[in-house]
Amino acid sequence: MRPFDLSMPADVPAALALLQQDPKARVIAGGTTLLDLMKLDVETPAHVIDITPLARREPSLVAITTLPNGGMRLGALVGNTTLAVHPLVGTRYPMLTAAIEAGASPQVRNMATMGGNLLQRTRCYYFRDTTLACNKRTPGSGCSAIGGHTRMHAILGTSTHCIATHPSDMCVALAALEATIRVRGPAGERTIPFEEFHTRPGDHPEIENTLRPAELVIAIDLPPPRFARHSAYVKVRDRASFAFALASAAVGLDIATGKIRAARVALGGVGTKPWRAVAAERLLTGASAASATWQHAAEAAFADASPQPGNTFKATLGQRTLVRALEMAAAG
Amino acid sequence: MSRGHAATNASASNPSEPLAAGSPAPDFLVGNSPDPLWLHDLRGQQVILVFSSAWNPAHAEQVTCYNRLVDEWNLPEPRLIDIAIDGPWYDLTFADDASRVRIPVCACGNVAAEYGVHDGEALFLIDRDGRICWRYAGPPGSRPPEDRLRVAMAAFARHETQTGGRISRRDFVAATLAVTCALSLHPRAADAVSPEPPLGAARPITLQVNGKRVTLDVEPRVTLLDALREYAGLTGTKKGCDHGQCGACTVHVDGHRILSCLALATLQQGKKITTIEGIASGKTLHPMQAAFIEYDAFQCGYCTPGQVMSAVALLHEHCGAADADVRECMSGNLCRCGAYPHIVSAIQSVRHGKPGHAAI
Repeated sequence: MRPFDLSMPADVPAALALLQQDPKARVIAGGTTLLDLMKLDVETPAHVIDITPLARREPSLVAITTLPNGGMRLGALVGNTTLAVHPLVGTRYPMLTAAIEAGASPQVRNMATMGGNLLQRTRCYYFRDTTLACNKRTPGSGCSAIGGHTRMHAILGTSTHCIATHPSDMCVALAALEATIRVRGPAGERTIPFEEFHTRPGDHPEIENTLRPAELVIAIDLPPPRFARHSAYVKVRDRASFAFALASAAVGLDIATGKIRAARVALGGVGTKPWRAVAAERLLTGASAASATWQHAAEAAFADASPQPGNTFKATLGQRTLVRALEMAAAG
Repeated sequence: MSRGHAATNASASNPSEPLAAGSPAPDFLVGNSPDPLWLHDLRGQQVILVFSSAWNPAHAEQVTCYNRLVDEWNLPEPRLIDIAIDGPWYDLTFADDASRVRIPVCACGNVAAEYGVHDGEALFLIDRDGRICWRYAGPPGSRPPEDRLRVAMAAFARHETQTGGRISRRDFVAATLAVTCALSLHPRAADAVSPEPPLGAARPITLQVNGKRVTLDVEPRVTLLDALREYAGLTGTKKGCDHGQCGACTVHVDGHRILSCLALATLQQGKKITTIEGIASGKTLHPMQAAFIEYDAFQCGYCTPGQVMSAVALLHEHCGAADADVRECMSGNLCRCGAYPHIVSAIQSVRHGKPGHAAI
């Protein structure tokens, strides 16, 4: 790992000031992504800012609270394990608890935080190997993944410059739950709808989200629970545990007398960002909760898939994963 | 040039440019114990002179770094396997016959200024005749030492090919290390021209490990794993993948199991750290350790400290009763020998209150 200076600001304003002074500085919380990438020379910051002390002055950063509208707020520094074992979160947003538990290992979950999970970087092998071309790591250098080994790569939201997947499980559930990201920067606090937080690679794979310079994620707001009774998170991977998704699906259904009144569907492991499947939701809404519906919805979710020669299987796997999630959610 | 010149006559108040290729390399005292060794005495060898604060020879990773560098240029002769500090000496051990090269380490006065380096970092390539044949100079922290050496090696290799010379791995490593370490370890030379602390400089930190306070002088980039193993001498915690994928480095911080390879040591101050060395009570093993022995839950044993630390943490976690639950809860610890069935048995025996009775 290259040498760097480490700052430990005492509060959020101090952290924001440091970020303004040094836009190339990197923020560290759990460190599970950043330090890994620094050892690989993918991230090479000369200045790292530790934000974990901020919670001393601002305890809401590590708190899980209920909002007046019936929703919940998750502080940016809440740990993955803390969220996973939170009883109220488990009752109100079971797909979120399931997604967290499906991700990483107990040790990693003890370290990782909400904010870091949102900003987790891709596991694309070509991104992680500095000897290979990668537009995300070195803009304009090309994409070694296209034409390479693409088992772990995206088939939705890709561009000719990047086909890397977003690796998070938690974010798939947050997409389906229509969370809101609360951020604070030099201009004050603002909120970003989850759908607008992560960006598709397009011509600029190096840009991964809509955070502005010197902005910090402060919290994740969840809307009032609507799908707790009929929700599921299903993940398919190459080994039983501690592996990134080949395909995953987060599903929430609002079912009354056999009819689907509302549906939320998001996909993981197949998209360049946590992938909200709006076409599937449209098809589900108003339909009857029956197996034919699940298959139609799954086909709609992958209608725009553009696989590489090495990952054509992912459209089929993704559809089957979604069908399974819909069946489980409907069964309750 | 008189031998005392570099040490006594340099002046930081009269900055000049870094010396250019073709200039004679100013002489200086590399070490003086037991006999004085001057740069002049290294004539006939190539020398790479690095002015950098970011070079910590106490790191095991430096061995890896050197071997990578020399591998890249296909240098003959054996691999460097160890750099040990012995008073004013560095002992380099090579793999072929475990032969040692002993080099003195002792800095002298204002060498950096003598070479025209007043801030930032610089690298000079000195040929067999004591002339600078190539140089690099950059702002502080601009590039890491390894990159700089790699660039220099490329130039060096070309130079040597043209002049028909042959680089000996042993001589190269010894000469490079002698000069590099002398200048960076003993900050007097750098201090005269660089009052600002260099990027990522080592600072003392205090950790509470197994109930004892230990103070270590570490750079911010040092992980908890490296701090435990390389600085605190607690080698029970193992380095497997060093990327958070194998669990060999699992320790407890404030009662929770974490991966010490992905945690910075500096950020663990004020927290209670427990390692595999800290779970037994005197000579009585922790029940989980005893159970691992009783149930033969390891083969080579390398992953075992991490497995045990995870297993001990699991006892206080939300983990279901079934064997499948245990496997899921232990998914962050890989065992390449495949001792998994016995690991599960050992853990279940402790959970069911039937641990083994092995003792140290």
